Amino acid sequence: MSDSLVAPPDRSKRRRFRGIADKLGILGIFIVSAMILMAVFAPWIAPYDPTERVGRPFQTPSAEHLLGTNDVGQDLLSELIFGARVSLTVGLVAALVAFIIGTTVGVLAGYYPKRIGTVLMRTVDVVLILPFLPLLIVLAAYLGRSLINTILVIGILIWAAPARVIRSQVLSLRSREYVLAAQTMGAPDRWAIWRHVLPRTALLATSTFVRAVSTAILLEAALSFLGLGDPIQKSWGSMLFWAQTRGAFLTPAWKWWVLPPGIMIMLASLGFAFIAFAVEERINPRL
Amino acid sequence: MMSSKKVLWILTVCLALVLAACGGSDTGDTTTTAGGDEPGTTSGETPDTTEPSDDPVVVRAAINNDEDTINPYTYVTGFPGWNMLMMQYDSLMQFDADGVPQPWLAETVEASEDLATWTVTIVDGVTWHDGEPLTIEDVKFAYDYFLTNAAGRFARDLAGVESVEITGEREVTISLAGPSPAFDQVALGDIPIIPQHIWETIEGPSEATFDIDVNIGSGPFKLVEYVPDQSYRFEANPDYFLGAPAVDELVVVIFADDAGALAAIRSGEVDVIFDRVSPEQIELLDAQDPLDISQGPEFTTQMINYDATKAPFDDIAVRQAIDLAVDRQDIVDTVYLGAATVGSPGWVHPDKPVYNPDVAAVYDVDAANALLDDAGYADTDDDGIREFDGQPMSFEYLTNAEDSLRLRISELVSEMLADIGIEVNVASVESSTWEEAVWPGFDINNGRNYEMAMWGWSAPVQANTIRLGQLVHGDPGKGFLNLTGFDDPDLNALVDQLEVEGDPETAQQLLNDIQAQIAEKLPFVLLAYPDGAYVYNSDVYGDWEFIAGQGIVSKVSLLPAAARP
Amino acid sequence: MRRAGLNRLGQYLIVFVVAVTLNFILPRLMPGNPLALIAGVDVGLLTPDQRAEIIEAAGLNEPLISQYFDYWKSILTGDLGFSYRSGRPISELIAERLPWTLLLAGGALVISAFFGIILGAISAWRRGKKLDLGLLSSMIALESLPSFWLGMLLISLFSVSWGLLPSFGAVTPASDLVGWDHVRDVIEHAILPVATLSVLSIPGVYLTMRYSMLEVLGEDFIRTARAKGASETRVLFGHVARNAMAPVVTFLAIRLAFAFGGAVIIETVFSYPGLGRLVFESVGGRDFPVMQAAFLVFTVAVLLANLAADFLYPLLDPRTRARNE
Repeated sequence: MSDSLVAPPDRSKRRRFRGIADKLGILGIFIVSAMILMAVFAPWIAPYDPTERVGRPFQTPSAEHLLGTNDVGQDLLSELIFGARVSLTVGLVAALVAFIIGTTVGVLAGYYPKRIGTVLMRTVDVVLILPFLPLLIVLAAYLGRSLINTILVIGILIWAAPARVIRSQVLSLRSREYVLAAQTMGAPDRWAIWRHVLPRTALLATSTFVRAVSTAILLEAALSFLGLGDPIQKSWGSMLFWAQTRGAFLTPAWKWWVLPPGIMIMLASLGFAFIAFAVEERINPRL
Repeated sequence: MMSSKKVLWILTVCLALVLAACGGSDTGDTTTTAGGDEPGTTSGETPDTTEPSDDPVVVRAAINNDEDTINPYTYVTGFPGWNMLMMQYDSLMQFDADGVPQPWLAETVEASEDLATWTVTIVDGVTWHDGEPLTIEDVKFAYDYFLTNAAGRFARDLAGVESVEITGEREVTISLAGPSPAFDQVALGDIPIIPQHIWETIEGPSEATFDIDVNIGSGPFKLVEYVPDQSYRFEANPDYFLGAPAVDELVVVIFADDAGALAAIRSGEVDVIFDRVSPEQIELLDAQDPLDISQGPEFTTQMINYDATKAPFDDIAVRQAIDLAVDRQDIVDTVYLGAATVGSPGWVHPDKPVYNPDVAAVYDVDAANALLDDAGYADTDDDGIREFDGQPMSFEYLTNAEDSLRLRISELVSEMLADIGIEVNVASVESSTWEEAVWPGFDINNGRNYEMAMWGWSAPVQANTIRLGQLVHGDPGKGFLNLTGFDDPDLNALVDQLEVEGDPETAQQLLNDIQAQIAEKLPFVLLAYPDGAYVYNSDVYGDWEFIAGQGIVSKVSLLPAAARP
Repeated sequence: MRRAGLNRLGQYLIVFVVAVTLNFILPRLMPGNPLALIAGVDVGLLTPDQRAEIIEAAGLNEPLISQYFDYWKSILTGDLGFSYRSGRPISELIAERLPWTLLLAGGALVISAFFGIILGAISAWRRGKKLDLGLLSSMIALESLPSFWLGMLLISLFSVSWGLLPSFGAVTPASDLVGWDHVRDVIEHAILPVATLSVLSIPGVYLTMRYSMLEVLGEDFIRTARAKGASETRVLFGHVARNAMAPVVTFLAIRLAFAFGGAVIIETVFSYPGLGRLVFESVGGRDFPVMQAAFLVFTVAVLLANLAADFLYPLLDPRTRARNE
């Protein structure tokens, strides 16, 4: 613990660390794949059809309904299991959208800070200050209220911030010796970006992607909470919306209606983050 | 390091700003009127439950909307905005617990034989909050002012008034263009009397900006403080003409949503919630000491609207099939947990005296299917959805996301209509979007941009049974609330007749016919009338009066028992 | 350098114009109608004539382009106009709410910057150790909490169950508190929302700081400095932390600017009278003038923060500074 920092990293220690990272990564893969399996096989796992009213409203947990029923008598456990479908889809796809746009814009803007970078970064500035509530309502009005709309809106909302961070990173990489050397030796930009810039940005980009996944899942929940999502879709966010509008936060029902979806959201984010953590370790063990 | 310095600097600025704001709001408060905070020393009558202690009774209420400065031109919502307006002002008549208007500022109210002339004498010795006497000139002025400076509700109440003349020392005579049997209910019990000496100098009140100094009424409470988006403070008027109120101070707190208000009443931070409590909370809140629930029927509605000008909803068979296929009892039991009245297909609430008991909802899926089969709507491609004009009977069903109960009803309706081969896709949209689709520009001449939608009217629409024409008349000028574009000559004729019918018995006969016609021809499908349920802390104040159809939020609830109508 | 600065300013001006234009267009693309707000009372009861009158008085029947020019005129003269809903001057509305929003955001920013930077630095320093792993995973877990969920749970516990703290508002209504009592009241009301906001923002700062530190720790010049025999503390403060701060400061600057948009969700959960609720309500009711003004404040704040970050970045990061000079 009190080792000198100046000493180069101890090989065995690093290996041990990789071991821990791998274990976390495996744990992450386990969590995420469990969730994906749950989403895919939801109709077989869930005891009931979550859209079917199978009991009295507001039932407490029982053998028939392990998490009780919601405000119209739908089985909460089945909702939770089916909820993985919408929540994970929104999280992954929206984050992917944001990741692709954000990284592309960030790297280009950082590597060509003059003209392209200026235009790109000013666009980012505009996107960052778009008033998102009206944007959401306008998009919903013209695209219809659908999952794709939610994904698009979230993607649009979150790509700009990663782009800025990545651009900062690339900007500073650009002034490093190896890039300058490559440039003076007449290597094409593409090569410099590919060989030097991207690998050193991957860490940051991966971390922004991870954050984007959880942000997207959370944003979906937040939009639902504000009544701007689609409460008819069975997602973890919409479960919390109903829990909130039907007062479950203030009743004993919070234990089986409020905690589980919140915990699922947390677990999903954690799973992705652990995977990313292990991936970073492999991409860039030098750090 | 640079950044932490910057952060510190920012913090300092923030704090400075906040402190400045707090200072500002302190000095900005309107100072209370002298002697306004005397505890309720009632003269003569003994209030039945108000403790005879010296502690002033302070009731803290929760609402969900900022109501602006709550004068007749600024209050925002019909409920509870209008109700809080009427705590500061009096009308000539006041609704009693049964929802029947009784003379209030008026001593006597007399209608002529043909119900087209109403004569009102007012009580002597009433004063405004500023000590000026309330005279018959004020009454005439108020009615004339609302007629001249039209702004919605009160001008609409006075529709048909030709003149308001002072015909005695304390008497006005109101002449109408034709018979108006419910003028007492619609106008006399609804319109606040405002002081001439305050309002005569105010021109263009719809566009003017106000502060609360304008709020001089004659009512039991006076608004003394308004912090926008946060709270109101009303002080009792010790000189109220019916005796000092049983509550000395009313603080109204503005919450962002129901959940916040519920948390606050459970933690004892407020003493009553002016908005209706959601059905699932009723039992829970009632179980908690010292909270109590006051519950009763109210006149708001939940209904299915469809574009009756377009196929297939222009076909009476389709409308009747929908009406037969919805299980209203299920909606009441599942969504409202029983705290609602099953909707009458004839529009009128069963608790209203004019209700036609022969009109009842029928739930019969087989009959509904038979109707559609006979009308030729077959499921030709066997996908479980019937077709019309070669298209599947699949419709978008708009509802507003802010109203979760409505959203749940939509889901249930969607389930129920699936049983008769009609596919309903619930689309939950944000309120203004929904409103604009169902009622573009709040003017039915603009048409309709929806196939099916959840809709509901506020209590006044149900209360004014006499004006049923507004709701179903096919002429857009008369049926300006006819959002479905329904047009039926028989019904048009009936509602036209009703509007001018002076004889109560004939009027009731007409009303019975109209209800039967509405139930048969279905300009809309009425699903339920949600009950009103209000929660209050009985340790602080428990004498709330539930006015049938209107709930507990009225000045009556805050007056000593002897002063109530 | 000066020319580059002017050029940058010019760019920001363009962004400003584009953003302000979008602020004008987007609200008007929303379906819906401000009539209900302007009329102030049950809109269904208006006659067609009354409706027309109101629309005319509010200038809603004017061609969009002239409304647009009026809007620019109002921005340039600083006269933001009046709210449709309350008829009050918008500058007043904003001045009332902005301090509350800044109190929440400022409090949360300071707390999250403090913990985020320190924990992030420790984590990077102890990279791969148990402490790092524990911090990293718990921060990721914290970041994954839905804000309204956390807020509601805190209310359930601290206000409803234990009765320790108020659950709503910024001050106790109609309490007439003055001086120190008033300050205490304000602080008590701010504790839960600030705590919620802080818990949610610490991980962002922490992760940025940690990653940035790790980057810098792997740099050649750090190794060079170490090889040159620079002392441990000197390496840490003179090189690592200083070089790692640039992304963190960028992050914080943007965070702060975004506070001017209001914390819609937290303000809703805690019924807090901030800008976020004003925006949310004005959007819901289509109160165009209030929306435009609120978005303008937000736009200006974010642009200024970006501008500041742009100019500060080279000063903070010696690597880019070296290149620019």
